Amino acid sequence: MMGKRLLSLLTTSAALGLVMGQAEAKTVIQVMHQGDPGWVSTYGEVAKRFEAANPDVDIELIYAPHDAYNEKFSAAVMSKQLPDVMELDAPFLANYVWSGYLQPIKPLIDQDILEDMTESNVAQGTYPIDKELYAVGLTDSSVVLYGNRKYLEAIGARIPKGVDDAWTREEFEGYLEKLSKVEGVKWPIDTFRGYGIKTEWITYAYGPILQSAGCDLIDRKTWKSVGTLDSDPCVDALTMMQTWVKNGWVVPQSSGTNQFFAEGHPAALAFGGHWIYAEAAASMKDDIVVMPLPKFGPKGVSPNGTWIWGITTASEHPDIAGKFVSFMLKDKQYRDYAREDSAYPGLKSFAADSPLYNAGGPMAVAFEQASKTAIARPPHPAYPAITSAFMGAVDEIFNGGDVKAALTAAAEKIDEDIEENDGYPPFDEQQ
Amino acid sequence: MTLQQPALTATAAVARPARRRDKGRLFQEIGMLAPAVVLLTIFLIVPFLLSFWTAMTNQPLVPRPTPVRFIGLTNFLRILKDDLFWTSLWNVSRFTFWILPVQCGLAFATALLLHQKLPFRNFFRGLFFLPAITSMVVVCVIWGTLFQYPTGPLNQVIGFLSGGHIQPIDWLGDPNWAMFSIVLLSAWQAYGFQMIVYLAGLQGIPDELYDAARIDGANAFQRFWHVTMPGLRPTHVFVLVITTIQAFKLYTQVAVLTQGGPKSSTETVVHYMVRTGFEEQKLGLASAVSVILFLIVLVIALLQRQLLRRFDV
Repeated sequence: MMGKRLLSLLTTSAALGLVMGQAEAKTVIQVMHQGDPGWVSTYGEVAKRFEAANPDVDIELIYAPHDAYNEKFSAAVMSKQLPDVMELDAPFLANYVWSGYLQPIKPLIDQDILEDMTESNVAQGTYPIDKELYAVGLTDSSVVLYGNRKYLEAIGARIPKGVDDAWTREEFEGYLEKLSKVEGVKWPIDTFRGYGIKTEWITYAYGPILQSAGCDLIDRKTWKSVGTLDSDPCVDALTMMQTWVKNGWVVPQSSGTNQFFAEGHPAALAFGGHWIYAEAAASMKDDIVVMPLPKFGPKGVSPNGTWIWGITTASEHPDIAGKFVSFMLKDKQYRDYAREDSAYPGLKSFAADSPLYNAGGPMAVAFEQASKTAIARPPHPAYPAITSAFMGAVDEIFNGGDVKAALTAAAEKIDEDIEENDGYPPFDEQQ
Repeated sequence: MTLQQPALTATAAVARPARRRDKGRLFQEIGMLAPAVVLLTIFLIVPFLLSFWTAMTNQPLVPRPTPVRFIGLTNFLRILKDDLFWTSLWNVSRFTFWILPVQCGLAFATALLLHQKLPFRNFFRGLFFLPAITSMVVVCVIWGTLFQYPTGPLNQVIGFLSGGHIQPIDWLGDPNWAMFSIVLLSAWQAYGFQMIVYLAGLQGIPDELYDAARIDGANAFQRFWHVTMPGLRPTHVFVLVITTIQAFKLYTQVAVLTQGGPKSSTETVVHYMVRTGFEEQKLGLASAVSVILFLIVLVIALLQRQLLRRFDV
């Protein structure tokens, strides 16, 4: 009785194994990504179209939430389950390449895509040590100062025509003060604190304010943060932001991320990413004004870098993985969706296709910033520690903490991390 | 105290049947124990001992090109010197101090209410237990909306009831309020468990004792104070110990709603540990935090055990 049952069990599993064996004849390419629901379904459709064109390939999409992406990725590394293709946030590229997770992507991607990349797109995918390209993307990003025309006219504000005549710090703070007294304005500005205190947004969007004021998160020659992040210009810049918060000029963190274009338009200005344009313009119609980021010091600075695609060293079929990335970047529906989402072009052909960013387009200023004021986040393998320390300091400062003390603590934490990793060789020799 | 004695000895007698120590039985017992012991060893005891070792190295979360070294007690010293660690310990203590009366009181009150012979009693028992079986993450997201500033439902209700005299409160965004807000929603989510324990405790008190008290002329309050309370003493102690240990492990609510902010006012020991381990990728340092947390919880558990002894259960 027992024996018979065992035998039948064995035959069933053998048969199952046979079926499975046949299914495995397909090459499986795992693609790890993040994104809003709209993007997730777009990726799903791209994968289906790729599978239809390549019947012997099975694309397996692995979704990881934006806020915990790095943690999820670490878990995949630990369990030796690296995907073939991964979406990654550009400032983390140096850390991933240094740790040995990514392979040079140039030989794996279609030549015409490589030639199509904008300068800043190449920059965000390049590892500074060997100057090799490790990731590509369709898009890039920027932050602009959005304004509500009604309120700006009420205070008689000057509206800059381009990056060169951006508001100065004095003008900007003067307008904030005036806006705070305008009828209907609940908050003069939304800096999108609603994204949370543990989000890349803080380093991405507020970092340029430091650089514009004349300092940085870390010295990019000696790779030391003490003496830079806690220097006077940085203390001054963050004291300025702390004052805005204290004055009640900034939308608080718990009020969400849509106060600029929510019903009644309670926030007059928005220090916001290019990605909110579509939604904001839909709500505000002609009232939306797009301006360059103000100059907080001698020069204006804007951020860049976004989520781009790399191929891991664990991939057994890097050529097919590359084929998928090339396929996706050229996919028409994928580009259509990106354009609808007011995506910021990182490929020249896509830029030509995006009237929003072309000369005379409503977001032309954002595109102008890329070539004139964009500074990338520090391309160093210690970046996860840098951004984490800076986020902590900003939370402390926005809630009334001592600016100098918070920045000193963050700078020391960053230097400690670099020391612990023996200077992340060969970054310790690079001067 | 004397009242509950007979009941206790009776259960003790049932719980310990006479044992026959023949060999077959012993073998059977070992066989029964083995799966649990093996699993506990592999998944609990070995990793636990490993974490002691990891705590003394600079082990990163994921392999890195730089070597892993033995660094002795450096990690422990660094944690003890980190203000944020002490802040998180202080926050967890604050949380525990607040949640004990709120959560246990709520649980005790509802248990007393639902122990009465009310119509639809079982329906209400289920209803009151609902939050406890709802995922904490879901509860957090819902309460996050309730807490919204300045126009969230909670603020509107308070504004309406006070006739606009109380200004909207930034529940999760104000360092003075954030931890209290988390206490509120945590107590609401978790009190169902303690309520069930209290209900079981209440049902364990024999009716004869109430009858005897009634014959002696005790009024409702006297019956509660001299029969119910002594009968629940072991339950009280159990609930306190369990709630304290749970409170020290506070993590989910913070991770979902405040990420330790604003101004580190909701940073907890476990959240601090997860951040050092996963965000900053310092596994050695995170292991050291876990060892320290273990020692703290151990000390508290031992203290509470002493307390339990004093109640001579």
